[in-house]
Amino acid sequence: MKVSFQALARHLDLAGVTAERVAEVLPMLGLEVESVTTFGLAPLPLVVVGEITSFVPHPKADRLSVCVVDVGDGAPRQIVCGAKNFKAGDRVPVALPGTRMPGGFEIKVSKLRDVDSAGMMCSSEELGLGKGEDGLLILTPRQPVLGTPLNALYGAPDTVLEISVTPNRGDCLGIRGVARDLAAALGLTLKPLTVKTAAGLAGAPSAADAVKFVRASSEFCPYYTLRTLKNVQVGPSPAWLRRDLEAAGLRPINIVVDITNWVLLELGQPLHAFDAQKVSEGIEARPAREGEQIVLLDGKQVKLEPGVCVIADAQRPLVVAGVMGGVDAGVTDATTEVLLEAAWFRPGEIRRVARRLGVSTDSSHRFARDVDPAGVELASRLATDLLVELAGAQVVGPAIAVGQPPRADVTIELPAGYVTAKLGTPVADADVSAAFARLGFTVKLSATGFSVLVPSFRSDVTRPIDLVEEFIRIHGTDKVPAGRPIAPLPGDEDALTSVFTREVSARLVGAGFTECCHYSLRDAAELERTLGADQAALVAMDNPLTAEQTHLRASLVPGLAGALALNLSVHADPRGLFEVGTVFRPQADGTVREFLSVAFAIVAEPVTRSWKSREAFDALRAKRLLQDAAALAGVTAVRLSFAAAHGGLWQADHAAALVDRGRAAEGACGVLDLRWTRSLGLKSSVIAGEVCFPRSAFAEARKIPRFEAFSSFPPVTKDVAVIVPVGVAAAEVESRVRQGAAKAAGKEFALESVNCFDVFTGPGLPDGHGSLAFEIRWRHAARTLTDEETNQALGVVIATLEKGTGWTVRR
Amino acid sequence: MQPQLAQLVAAATQEAVAVATRAELEAFKARVVGPNGSLTQVMKGMATLSKEERPVVGKLINEAKKSIEEILAALLVKVENAEIAAALGAAVDPTLPSPDAPAGSLHPLSRTRERILASFRKLGFVVADGPEVETEWHCFDALNTPADHPARDMQDTLYMPKAFRSADAPRKADEAILLRTHTSSVQVRAMLSRQPPFRIVAPGRCFRRDAVDATHSANFHQVEGLWIDRHVTLADLRGVLDFFVKETFGADAEIRLRPSFFPFTEPSFEMDLRSPNLGRLSNRWLEIMGCGLVDPKVLELCGLDPDEWSGLAFGLGLERIAMLIHGIDDIRHFYNNDTRFLRQFA
Repeated sequence: MKVSFQALARHLDLAGVTAERVAEVLPMLGLEVESVTTFGLAPLPLVVVGEITSFVPHPKADRLSVCVVDVGDGAPRQIVCGAKNFKAGDRVPVALPGTRMPGGFEIKVSKLRDVDSAGMMCSSEELGLGKGEDGLLILTPRQPVLGTPLNALYGAPDTVLEISVTPNRGDCLGIRGVARDLAAALGLTLKPLTVKTAAGLAGAPSAADAVKFVRASSEFCPYYTLRTLKNVQVGPSPAWLRRDLEAAGLRPINIVVDITNWVLLELGQPLHAFDAQKVSEGIEARPAREGEQIVLLDGKQVKLEPGVCVIADAQRPLVVAGVMGGVDAGVTDATTEVLLEAAWFRPGEIRRVARRLGVSTDSSHRFARDVDPAGVELASRLATDLLVELAGAQVVGPAIAVGQPPRADVTIELPAGYVTAKLGTPVADADVSAAFARLGFTVKLSATGFSVLVPSFRSDVTRPIDLVEEFIRIHGTDKVPAGRPIAPLPGDEDALTSVFTREVSARLVGAGFTECCHYSLRDAAELERTLGADQAALVAMDNPLTAEQTHLRASLVPGLAGALALNLSVHADPRGLFEVGTVFRPQADGTVREFLSVAFAIVAEPVTRSWKSREAFDALRAKRLLQDAAALAGVTAVRLSFAAAHGGLWQADHAAALVDRGRAAEGACGVLDLRWTRSLGLKSSVIAGEVCFPRSAFAEARKIPRFEAFSSFPPVTKDVAVIVPVGVAAAEVESRVRQGAAKAAGKEFALESVNCFDVFTGPGLPDGHGSLAFEIRWRHAARTLTDEETNQALGVVIATLEKGTGWTVRR
Repeated sequence: MQPQLAQLVAAATQEAVAVATRAELEAFKARVVGPNGSLTQVMKGMATLSKEERPVVGKLINEAKKSIEEILAALLVKVENAEIAAALGAAVDPTLPSPDAPAGSLHPLSRTRERILASFRKLGFVVADGPEVETEWHCFDALNTPADHPARDMQDTLYMPKAFRSADAPRKADEAILLRTHTSSVQVRAMLSRQPPFRIVAPGRCFRRDAVDATHSANFHQVEGLWIDRHVTLADLRGVLDFFVKETFGADAEIRLRPSFFPFTEPSFEMDLRSPNLGRLSNRWLEIMGCGLVDPKVLELCGLDPDEWSGLAFGLGLERIAMLIHGIDDIRHFYNNDTRFLRQFA
């Protein structure tokens, strides 16, 4: 809301208080000042009245004129000018060299296309007076004296503060509300508001009224008042009224509309004026009926939703209550009889209707934030004063009121010591009472503390805690010292998701990966690639903003692949990239589950050339990183197995899906689908990995490992090479080796490890076969194993491998 | 005898020059000091000498033996050096660059997050979390946000379709499921699941239906704080925030609490920061976070008795803090993932 300094000065004596001070004080009251601007002509001592005595076209520029300008100092000067709207003899504002214009631009003696120019003739806009006519501001009709400073022709400038009012402070959507807070903060007294029109309301129209009935039958309009004013002369408003409206950013229309707007700005109470002659019989605030329509003032024809509160006459709806008037009964220059409405509408409903209609008006904005029911009549009387004074209106009697003000002042019992307890620093009772009194609250000391009467204009203050906020606003938050030192609470630990995120990130950073951060919201094509079309539909949003951000991400890999492509396109070596974040995956039961995911991606071929080549990153290195990441989440390698990944993001035969026997982790690693990554502009293949965990995987605290004793005797190692048909998974063979080796050890000694150390296909083996060699290591806890024992054990392994498999152990 | 020994040593010295390998060394050794070696032969001749001659000749032989041992020792060093050189290959030029990629780096948002969390940990706050897709109840109702509050509008908040069911945030009744607009929903989850007193800090991703520009992003990150205890006061809030700001922005940073409004705190404040070390944003008040005392209504909605328990809460924007700390001027940098940006903060 725009509030000018002069407007505030109507309500409190601001002598000795600068606009800058006001702009410092208001934010600390909770009234954020978004901008401070000058309204009217800023002090510009070097801008004076000059006369264009003659002018010729600029020799080098069609659009410019070279003018001779007399500013009354006996030394006519040459000024180059781009405007066209003047003639010789016109008087215009001239900014002499040295002037700093309101936009910050400094006027200097200069050359414009090789022609000397000693100053600038100004337009309305250049002077900060708003958008006027095109070209120079022509002062000729005012007949000003040459050389007069322009400021002498204009009033003193005003300062306009644009205030951002929080939703709880409807009272500050009127200048008087802001002034009240300011007065409280500065210790000033709010000037009383004097209204001449008599108070008092009638229950029904009299013969003198322009309507036969006034009714309110909508639940959204508990209180409605209407007043008849006769002999109104509609015309333009006086200069001061227009100025006040313009300072607040409103456009003057006619005296009646301007007065209703002026009162709205002043008190925050919206009013509406009808042309009485266009109103059929009477006025009723009623629910809209099925099929009713209205043409609003903005020209839009809208179908009224049945039940919406409208202000109607005997025949048709005239206004969407509290939101916007219609064209049918508006005040025009021909109007002579005015019906002035002042009412209270339910805030929630006004908010709903305005949003539904897609409009926000000065009126709906205020009604939506709960205007003061006690201010309804006052606003009507203040507007009446002005209509009488400025438009010659004649009052025929009291306003007709239907219903009751829905809220009254409230009394809050504030226990003694409550404010101190909430602030954590002692405050004197007298300070508490004084702060409330300054806000216009009535304070009485009661047996248990304070009894505070809060006027109805502060609908946000209803509880003791609200009074604490009021106190601290006025008392000043800077008076609250920083509190006691605090000690940690024992037993509390960080969420394991956070611990995991930290640890896995450190692991990947150590492996040379750079962390990325991508948007969670992705497009349909990406999700269809990741999940397939059916599943993708399950993570689509209801109201996406753009076509690129329609779905929740199900994988971090597409983002990383995109980042690789982006970096290569800008000639930056991306090296390895990783990301840790939430992904969303449809589950078998139809729900969508959140997973904490870790993913990485790297181009297989190094981007930067090196004098010494290193082994390329491959799918199995990705597997190692994945296993390490899983281990950090408590998913140990023994729980994991890997099977061929198919479809989606991954390249067939070159990627593996991760299977967790504990059914927690999901993931995959290997080469990304080559057609896809090529379509992203990536020439080399991309190796990636992703492992993700449901939130439940982090629910239990990690177990602290227990020490296990180990043998001090040497191990025995035996090698075994197995010839198997191509296509038999290494894990299957290894599993059999383990099985046999464990069986051989029995309870007597222990299998320590099985390690695949050779994979071979080629000459010497039967067609379609390959060989896998494993090193088996056994150890006894209490002695050295004998040759006999280990040879026997190897025999068991060989038998296990060959029995029923068709495999052969090389001997 | 003397000339014979002198000749023997001279011959060995000459022969030694040609020894290069361990095998040659062994052969040479055998030729001189082996059972049939030249020196051994001379030593054997001692037996034929008279008592008077022995000490003189013995001395001569010892001198020759010493010379031979020195030759052998020198040869051993020479051979070992040759072997080591063969095993290691050519010398390394230590001025060559390492062909290996350097360590990676954390995202500036992660670094900033960890820095913020570290400062709150010192005050006994522990990290908590909650789902990103939330029920409307957790995101709005339980936080005392009116049913018709504009924040709930389809214009501003991203919703999931009616049929959507979240495994992590099951509906309480038939309320909408949405992408959380703030991490304040974690406050609600903490109050419902933890026994006070507790202090939590919850970093996380939030969403608003905003078009992307230099200061807006469809998703962004917040760090939420909540302290529930008996008698938590405004002084405590000031103490916690003052500590955080000095930890994060240096001891000469100062704060002010500017009254404001949030449905879930009363009184509510915007915390402004002023610091001399923020480049062109130095020495002016900058809005950093919203904070306040937990509204009694929120405590009640989350099952805590407001007469017994009280709390303070705050929420700050991670991007905003990272931008201030590092002087970043466009929020989109965080999500573009250009490594020329990402690696600046390693």
